[in-house]
Amino acid sequence: MPEARWDVIVIGGGVVGCAVTRRFALAGAKTLLLERGRDILSGASKANSAILHTGFDAPPGSLEVACMQAGYKEYLDIHARLNLPMLKTAALVVAWTEEQLAQLDGIVSKAHENGVDDARQISRKDLLSREDGLSKTALGAVEVPREYVIDPWSAPLAYLKQAVRAGAGYQFDTEIKSGAFDGEYWHLDTGQQRFSGRLVINCTGTNGDNIEHICRKPGFEIRPRKGQFLVYDKSASALINSIILPVPTATTKGVVLTKTIFGNLLLGPTAEEQQDRNVATVEREMLEGLIATGTEMLPGLAGHSVTATYAGLRPATQFKDYQISAEPGKNWIGVNGIRSTGLTAALGIAAFVEKLCSETYSDIADFRPAPIPDWPVMPVLAEHGKRAYQQGDGTEIVCHCERVTRGEIEAALDESDVPARSLGGLRRRTRVMMGRCNGFYCSARVAELTQGRISPPLAGHKKDQT
Amino acid sequence: MSSFDIDVAIVGSGPSGIAAATALSQAGFKDIVVYEREADIGGIPRHTHHPSFGLRVFKRPMSGPKFIAALVRRCPDVRFETSTTITALRPGGVLELANATGLQTIRARHIILATGARETPRHGRLVPGLRPQGVITTGALQQFIYSAKLRPFERPVIVGTELVSFSALWTLRHAGIKPVAMIETGPRISAYRPATLLAKAMGVPIHYNTEITDISGIETLTQITTLTRGNKTAAIPCDGLIFSGCFTGENTIAAASHLCLNPSNRIPLVDQNWITSDSAVSVIGNATHPADMGDQCYLEGIKAGAYVAQLLAGNIAMDKAFAEIRHGDGIKMTTPSILRSDNFGDPLFDLSFHVTAPFKGTVCISHGEQVIYEEPRNCLPTRRITLRNIPFQAGHPIDLSLIGKSDVIA
Ligand SMILES: Cc1cc2nc3c(=O)[nH]c(=O)nc-3n(C[C@H](O)[C@H](O)[C@H](O)COP(=O)(O)OP(=O)(O)OC[C@H]3O[C@@H](n4cnc5c(N)ncnc54)[C@H](O)[C@@H]3O)c2cc1C
Ligand SMILES: Cc1cc2nc3c(=O)[nH]c(=O)nc-3n(C[C@H](O)[C@H](O)[C@H](O)COP(=O)(O)OP(=O)(O)OC[C@H]3O[C@@H](n4cnc5c(N)ncnc54)[C@H](O)[C@@H]3O)c2cc1C
Repeated sequence: MPEARWDVIVIGGGVVGCAVTRRFALAGAKTLLLERGRDILSGASKANSAILHTGFDAPPGSLEVACMQAGYKEYLDIHARLNLPMLKTAALVVAWTEEQLAQLDGIVSKAHENGVDDARQISRKDLLSREDGLSKTALGAVEVPREYVIDPWSAPLAYLKQAVRAGAGYQFDTEIKSGAFDGEYWHLDTGQQRFSGRLVINCTGTNGDNIEHICRKPGFEIRPRKGQFLVYDKSASALINSIILPVPTATTKGVVLTKTIFGNLLLGPTAEEQQDRNVATVEREMLEGLIATGTEMLPGLAGHSVTATYAGLRPATQFKDYQISAEPGKNWIGVNGIRSTGLTAALGIAAFVEKLCSETYSDIADFRPAPIPDWPVMPVLAEHGKRAYQQGDGTEIVCHCERVTRGEIEAALDESDVPARSLGGLRRRTRVMMGRCNGFYCSARVAELTQGRISPPLAGHKKDQT
Repeated sequence: MSSFDIDVAIVGSGPSGIAAATALSQAGFKDIVVYEREADIGGIPRHTHHPSFGLRVFKRPMSGPKFIAALVRRCPDVRFETSTTITALRPGGVLELANATGLQTIRARHIILATGARETPRHGRLVPGLRPQGVITTGALQQFIYSAKLRPFERPVIVGTELVSFSALWTLRHAGIKPVAMIETGPRISAYRPATLLAKAMGVPIHYNTEITDISGIETLTQITTLTRGNKTAAIPCDGLIFSGCFTGENTIAAASHLCLNPSNRIPLVDQNWITSDSAVSVIGNATHPADMGDQCYLEGIKAGAYVAQLLAGNIAMDKAFAEIRHGDGIKMTTPSILRSDNFGDPLFDLSFHVTAPFKGTVCISHGEQVIYEEPRNCLPTRRITLRNIPFQAGHPIDLSLIGKSDVIA
């Protein structure tokens, strides 16, 4: 069989890779996404705070703030067509000490400098009347009205689904290890399989510098920064109305309290430098520290139970700004160092990369005529939306904590664009087993429903396998 | 004409729900429905197949499914609606329910929540490490082995040494799966000592004073790391981890409703007749006292159902107001948690509670300055302690306290 030749090969299926794939597919490029995990979102993009940021506190004039604001705008433009949810919560940057209170002024001016004109300082009284669950030790806040909460998993999936409908390909379980450029085409290699494409876009997150080496000496070094989180039971989410953000100071990092789109309350993250690129563990002391901080800010948290704990690795570098650049003459674009704002910025980054491509490689950028975009309609997973069980999809609820029906599970396994092929993929597409019981009630049933459909399986290891 | 759809709606078809339905049915009520979100009735016993039920109700040991079948034979007229989830409880006897056709509301003269208990899984316990597949609970294990007939792993470790931990051991033995070890944070097992015999017979070591410091494996579990006595680290290769015990009530519906809750554990307040702050709602079974034996829950459900029958028959005038049962340090929860007087029933009540740490000393109930009950007791955290025939004083809060040494080995 002759080897397929792609216009564009995107390495890495995080939110950035998915958005880039979408952008190029919609532009008419024959685009392939390669991901080493069993599903998209195997890196930083599966474990973040899920906030759609305005960029109010990003470094003014940076590429980051430009991409965030472009990404923010495009998300607002397209989310309804993709049926992606959004909670218009607003954010409050809360000062807990005099030192922090003194900084609020500066936060407002920086926000205004970044074009977030509606950011403004509010008094302690206004703060506590809006957030009566907060500890009375709060001193004041900056209100940022257009900070929102989104679904961090459905968004990138929708991007890739739309790309697939526009003709893009994807392959999971595919780790690119090396590559060679023949002057016209890149030939990327996994050791078992080769992929050829004219342009390579490196979106490999915490692996970014290693993959850059295939083409060039990277001008940066990845320094993963871990963030640990606690997800509280849905019962806790009514304790706050807005996203509660910390005032960053030299002495404290502070943590975020936010509702999730799924109706939980999220507390975190920590910020810890580490060497390992792939392993993000949770640690009891850090979790207990978060609980202590969270309960200090929001006393009502005590008594609510913890549904989940998780950690994510920010693909940070020694630099503050994103590291996005094209290598002239080598048909390679590196999209790196998208450390802590990539969910927001992804669509903006994709547009920037497309522009970079047409500026640098005008010969490649002359793609086929773009297809008419088809808009996949994502299933409703948001707590405030009308869920399948409420509509009555003719099937029973399987996961009681998250109220996931058998119909939803089967749809995620059966759908043709990007079906779930792993438990993680199924969980992110449906919320099954994501609830407070961690699968006490439904995991055996889910094992039955997914038999032969997901890898690794939930059960049924043969005795002779060790 | 009443605007009620039915007389009594019972949520949950475990032993306590079936019992309440039985008592009501025997009292002549026809219009009662038991709602069950699973496809089959029975609650926990549905998937607990060893003979740990029936001793008190039928005077012989029975498997969970046999126990349930025998209980159902006692209430042939009761209607069960399965694959039906109650999604909300509202004032005025209103329940919102979801089934294959969508949402619906019904109104009942009285509602009995019998939603049971489950184990606290890994995340709720803040156990460190990664999140691989293969980390489950005993309840899930039972459903894998008995309901789905699937093997989730071959070499698991069991966390905990409560009765239910040995239940996990039993289930594994049935499936021919040999666990690698059991681990216990304390210096002795939480269940009665003879339970260790089963572990011995299966050749499964129990590591005491041991906690998990790491869970490894990106996709599937590869090993855990443990710390014993705060200084000895060990790696235990395994492909499964079963978090057993550490029960918690399944009070999702109650906690999201108008019912008054105990703020420290978000369990709905119930009086000595299992009536909540809303006199048209009862909560019974392990939802409020995770977790007692199935037989106990059944017997409780019979009493609670009989009380509701009297209430609906108009034979009881109940005070709207209630008094709190307060408790001091070392006590996790009490049932009842409030007291309410009526013109019916006993001026004495029984009080059950659980301790947070082993305790040896005097259990004391006082009403203001006055001590109304005193008894020397040995208490272990996983066991229910019941004080009987406590004099009841309408309208006054009482205090339960432990006088003596906590943290001693009983
Ligand atoms: C704690 C935390 C909180 C955050 N909160 C927010 C927030 O609230 N809002 C926001 O906008 N952003 C937030 N972020 C940032 C956001 O999550 C990241 O910026 C974003 O996920 C980065 O996406 P990415 O696609 O660049 O990287 P990744 O998601 O890491 O994707 C890289 C992908 O490449 C794959 N890969 C690597 N090497 C190879 C290879 N050789 N071959 C094939 N595939 C490979 C990996 O498996 C991975 O799936 C947060 C991040 C963290 C960690
Ligand atoms: C893993 C495990 C093992 C156990 N093993 C034993 C044992 O061996 N012997 C023993 O005596 N006891 C055992 N127990 C204790 C057990 O809790 C009791 O035996 C008994 O089942 C409690 O009865 P119940 O009626 O309170 O609740 P459950 O038996 O738990 O029944 C509650 C029922 O309510 C249903 N329900 C919950 N919420 C809703 C809703 N919103 N809508 C509709 N239906 C709902 C549930 O699906 C369930 O069927 C065990 C408990 C656990 C968790």
